[in-house]
Amino acid sequence: MSQPHHPDGFGDLDMGHHHVGSSAMFATVLIALLFLTFITVAVAQFDFGSANMLIAMGIAAVKASLVIGFFMHVKWDTAINKIVFMSSFLFLSLLFIFTLADLFTRRLDSEMHITKSPVDKEWVHPNTLPNGGH
Amino acid sequence: MSHDDHHAVTIPAPGPEFVDHEVAHHFNTPVQEFQALKLGFWLFLATEILLFGGLFAAYFYYHEMYPETFVLGGKQLDWKLGALNTSVLLLSSWTMVMGVRSAQTSQKKKTLIYLGITVLGAVIFMCIKYMEYSAKNEHGLIEFGHLFDGYNEATGQLPWFTDHDNVMASVPHGHMFFAIYLTMTAIHGIHVIIGAGLIIWIMFGTAKGRFHAGYFLPVDLVGLYWHLVDLIWIFLFPLLYLVP
Repeated sequence: MSQPHHPDGFGDLDMGHHHVGSSAMFATVLIALLFLTFITVAVAQFDFGSANMLIAMGIAAVKASLVIGFFMHVKWDTAINKIVFMSSFLFLSLLFIFTLADLFTRRLDSEMHITKSPVDKEWVHPNTLPNGGH
Repeated sequence: MSHDDHHAVTIPAPGPEFVDHEVAHHFNTPVQEFQALKLGFWLFLATEILLFGGLFAAYFYYHEMYPETFVLGGKQLDWKLGALNTSVLLLSSWTMVMGVRSAQTSQKKKTLIYLGITVLGAVIFMCIKYMEYSAKNEHGLIEFGHLFDGYNEATGQLPWFTDHDNVMASVPHGHMFFAIYLTMTAIHGIHVIIGAGLIIWIMFGTAKGRFHAGYFLPVDLVGLYWHLVDLIWIFLFPLLYLVP
């Protein structure tokens, strides 16, 4: 420590890095989040095919960034904390990429009439069985 | 500060209704204490993202395998209750951030009010969740009484999925959607309950005057946990209730 801190009084300590967000800003973020929830429900009423998933996840990602950036104060947090938290999404993307890679190669399999499901045993609905599945 | 010079570093209370904060002896400065604990908490939150990330990966996998099952399964949930719960959580996230802000500005009474409303949000959320689970139980889509019974080896059927009304009869592996729905929402629900407990604990500290402009770290960290719970739900809502 180059700068010794005196035990009594913390005026010399740098506590100024704590960001106190304004109430108006937090209220704006809340309204944006509620509005985006409405948009999520509204958009789900239309059938855009496979684009529905991308749209839903896109809106959720915007909402998530608002929560992370403002409510979790990440916008004003230190670089190390930003890196630590954001790195979890990096590792998550690795998980998703390899899972999707498996998924898409299995779809090729299914076109070649090779089993599609990893849990495939002939599946029947419980109520089609004589004893109701029990 | 040299090591043989062991003064306790104290952050003085800003007023008579607050108490001083004594920095733990293994930290040299309040800033060091704040940053170390906050970094640790962000690391914990990163592991939470990975925990739920695994569940989301499972969701996407089976959604791709059995899209009709997931779309039909999603229709068995009441999106209005889901949207209501989303709004409840978003509002409670706002009261949480306002609670943290009140602690940062040494407003004890306001902190208690905002945190109290946040706990109320958690209670409303869990009540709505309970109503939803009861409906699933009634229709035999998730029979909670048989959740841990072994599956029937002869038929391969799961005791907790009987689907009395045959709503899932037209799709393969109808139970898959409900298995994923229950796993994701139950683990999320456990987080809601733990979060509410932590907020109540923080409220006791606030009442004792432990948190003020000089020291509000526990309020801040519990707030981060609560926002994470909200963050997960933001993705769960469209994926489970409005299955794309």
